[in-house]
Amino acid sequence: MANVPDNLLYTADHEYVKRGAAPGIVTIGVTDYAQGELGDVVFVNLPKPGEKFSAHQAFGTIEAVKAVSDLFSPVAGEVVEVNAALDADPAVVNRSPYEEGWMIRLKVDNPADVDALLTPAAYRTQIGA
Amino acid sequence: MTWHLLRDTARPGWQNMAVDAALLDLAAEGGDAFLRLYRWEPHCLSFGRHEPALRRYDVERIRALGLDVVRRPTGGRAVWHAGELTYAVAAPLVPFGGQKPAYAAIHAVIAEAIRSLGGDSALAEPGRALSPGAGPCFSAPVGGEVLIGGKKVTGSAQLIQGDTLLQHGSILLEDDQSLVRGLAGQGGDEPAEASLSQALGRMVGIEELSLAIAAAARRAFGPMTPISADSNRIATHLPRHQARFRDLAWTWQR
Repeated sequence: MANVPDNLLYTADHEYVKRGAAPGIVTIGVTDYAQGELGDVVFVNLPKPGEKFSAHQAFGTIEAVKAVSDLFSPVAGEVVEVNAALDADPAVVNRSPYEEGWMIRLKVDNPADVDALLTPAAYRTQIGA
Repeated sequence: MTWHLLRDTARPGWQNMAVDAALLDLAAEGGDAFLRLYRWEPHCLSFGRHEPALRRYDVERIRALGLDVVRRPTGGRAVWHAGELTYAVAAPLVPFGGQKPAYAAIHAVIAEAIRSLGGDSALAEPGRALSPGAGPCFSAPVGGEVLIGGKKVTGSAQLIQGDTLLQHGSILLEDDQSLVRGLAGQGGDEPAEASLSQALGRMVGIEELSLAIAAAARRAFGPMTPISADSNRIATHLPRHQARFRDLAWTWQR
């Protein structure tokens, strides 16, 4: 059964959003369900700090067992930090999707956009958990 | 789901990748599914989407040999497209039940086509995942890939965009992958791949394999309507993809 923590928000594209790094900054990664569906992650391609993305725009790509998938920004904002540790150890996304396996930190254009994301209960319904 | 069959002519690498990407667009837009069968002219070396080609292969030698090169939108590692047939499937994922069932269903069609030609094909057992920097595609099978006599005869890779899949793969007819092994500094290694002609002990032609795959696909997925790469539906999506796959900055990005 996939882990869906209660303190996070989610998207239909299987990304999570964690508040609390700093005011207006959210941490983004892929969910435990997503990493399980992808299989062994072998590469994560992330943007550079300063790049801006609109909601639902692809901010990077992830490769697992020869399958490449887009990573979609849950909300609009500017990248302020990326998880450089994924370069050397992309499999951490499988081992620890919500902690060491985070991908980018985003300065959100409109904090109210985060409120509109899926609740843990809604995301559990979507994935049948 | 409505299936279309595109038995295409031979094209350069950048055009081949653009047509596959256009089919992915069409599958995402309209929910149709496409099976495309094609060759590469000139013969071409394709890299995986994230493969570190600049440090993995002998770039100077690639240039000196004048090889045509393209970077695929899909994952995996390098393939030399010469004596082979390439298939591509672009389709919504939901009717397959997801990415992994789609991978299995498509490889089951390829394996069935090879069996119909007399080959004793099997699917590889699940194994460890290989990084994009692990060397040529055919140097090691990954779980679910098509084998003959334990050797890899088909190398496949996927791109998932939302709920839509592009999977393409190379089926070796007569050529081995010694050129790409040499470019990776693995020239003396025992080949891990098999060609169909080798395995069957007779020449297997492009047309024969192409017809066998189309027939196996119809048995598995149902009727397929022929479509041409020149059709307006495909042509309208081509220009932006062609620009990307011709761009040397894309090909040699890493």
